[in-house]
Amino acid sequence: MIERVGNWFERYLVPPLGAIGSSIYLQAIRDAFIIFTLPLIIAGSVFLIIANPPFWSPDAIPESYKAFQTAVEVPFQLSFGLMALFLAFGVAHSLSQYRRTEAVQPGILAIVVFLVVSIPVGDLDTLRLGDLLPYFGGQGLLVAILVGIGTGEVVYRFRQSRLTIRLPKTVPPNVKRAFEALVPTLILLTVAWLLEWFISAHTFINADGKAQPYTLPILLMTVFKPLVVVQDSYPAAVLEIILMMLLWSVGIHGMNIVTAMAAPFWFTTLANNVHGGHGIVTEPFFHIFAHLGGSGATWPLVIYMLRSRSSQLRTVGKVALGPAIFNINEPITFGVPMVLNPIMMIPFVCVPLVIVTINYIVFSLGWVHVPVIMQPFTVPVGISGIIASGGDIRGGLLQLFDILVSAVLYYPFFKAWERILMGKEQQAAQTNEGPKEQLVAAHHQSN
Amino acid sequence: MIRVLIVCSWGMSTSLLVDSMMTAARVKQQDLIVEALSAGEYMERVEDFDIILIAPQIRHLRKNIEAIASSLHKPVAMIEPFHYATMNGEAVLEQIEHIFHVTKGE
Repeated sequence: MIERVGNWFERYLVPPLGAIGSSIYLQAIRDAFIIFTLPLIIAGSVFLIIANPPFWSPDAIPESYKAFQTAVEVPFQLSFGLMALFLAFGVAHSLSQYRRTEAVQPGILAIVVFLVVSIPVGDLDTLRLGDLLPYFGGQGLLVAILVGIGTGEVVYRFRQSRLTIRLPKTVPPNVKRAFEALVPTLILLTVAWLLEWFISAHTFINADGKAQPYTLPILLMTVFKPLVVVQDSYPAAVLEIILMMLLWSVGIHGMNIVTAMAAPFWFTTLANNVHGGHGIVTEPFFHIFAHLGGSGATWPLVIYMLRSRSSQLRTVGKVALGPAIFNINEPITFGVPMVLNPIMMIPFVCVPLVIVTINYIVFSLGWVHVPVIMQPFTVPVGISGIIASGGDIRGGLLQLFDILVSAVLYYPFFKAWERILMGKEQQAAQTNEGPKEQLVAAHHQSN
Repeated sequence: MIRVLIVCSWGMSTSLLVDSMMTAARVKQQDLIVEALSAGEYMERVEDFDIILIAPQIRHLRKNIEAIASSLHKPVAMIEPFHYATMNGEAVLEQIEHIFHVTKGE
């Protein structure tokens, strides 16, 4: 019965979810976030903490600290605040790597194109950096992704079509590469500049009551603002967590894939929170407040496993303890296993869903400060909740409460699965074989 | 010497498996080099290795990885989920040695 349900999943659930997971565009976006912008975001957040020490509430910051605060915000603005610029590079770079062609040139070209579409065409001397800066960070992510993919694709097509300056074979490859890049660079630069010229001929009235020319990111954000608002809602959070856990249920890294799709919204909302917004559905909302001990909120399972009477679960529990402290749970996902396991899949999807619901309510009631700080997902539970909410102790308490909820909800399913495994182990012992080898063999068959 | 590349998702959990494999190799006095790279980074390094292993959480990328590896004539294999879960370096090492001898024998 269990095998049959597993086969059904393998046939009907794995192919569509796998197809989402292997889209090279989504992979390129995900890699760009993880490899190129995450270090900047996390390092920048350190300065943000220094600028707004958690032991002072925002209104209680002493006058004497305020000058220092302004200074500390500079490294923050020039790292975290410029993430879209580097995301454009990262997307074009990763996409070219997936296409197996030279990747740095398209990356640099993407930065140039992004700058051209983000700065109004006109007298550069009269520009105010402060007006534009938000669109190089959170507000510019959507444009950065579009520019990165567009640039990567155009350069790739040119390389494919050989519609480029041809040089004799004796020319060294590096020189040749520079010339090859010339045609797509000129074309992209011209197109971006003409587009921006047209857009920036129109103005709008900004928050200071002054007329300001549009840029591509400002225009897109005006159009997409409703979408960012829609994404920062309970139904969107539910959709995202269910997709994450369904992907994980078939053994695919769900957090990674959903990140690739939702990150532009998460980081826009997070950047708004940094400037006093009250958005809830952000990266830390999932990584820090839902995936406690790893995707699926599996922390309590480690304790259950260590005390289990099934030798397979005890073995996995011992291996799983260390990684769980740092929110890594592949031992649990593949060892219990949760993947393609019709019994454990139910809580694996539902427990995070319940936790997301609780947290959403808590954040919207203002019982815990909304997420403002981005940190590596490996920071242990308890501490990470306090940091993420900008020093709110209740952030850590919420995580502990969520773990209790997870412990209660997982328990009956864990017990049911344990009984099945113990049955198998007893059978294996009776047939005179070592129980462990048998189980591994049984596991191979079910795969 | 056997040079092994493990392609995984972030390189976080896999680094634990790498440690366990290195310990197993020391015990068996097998000369082994193992590196774990994420699915976004591995492409340019395939050439430097003898065997490419795929971590279970990115098995949906298997076709892409096989396409790249086979163009360079490198054998590709999946790591057994249960071995991965229990960080069983010994079992993975056996798998590697088996593949290595088979491909060498050809």
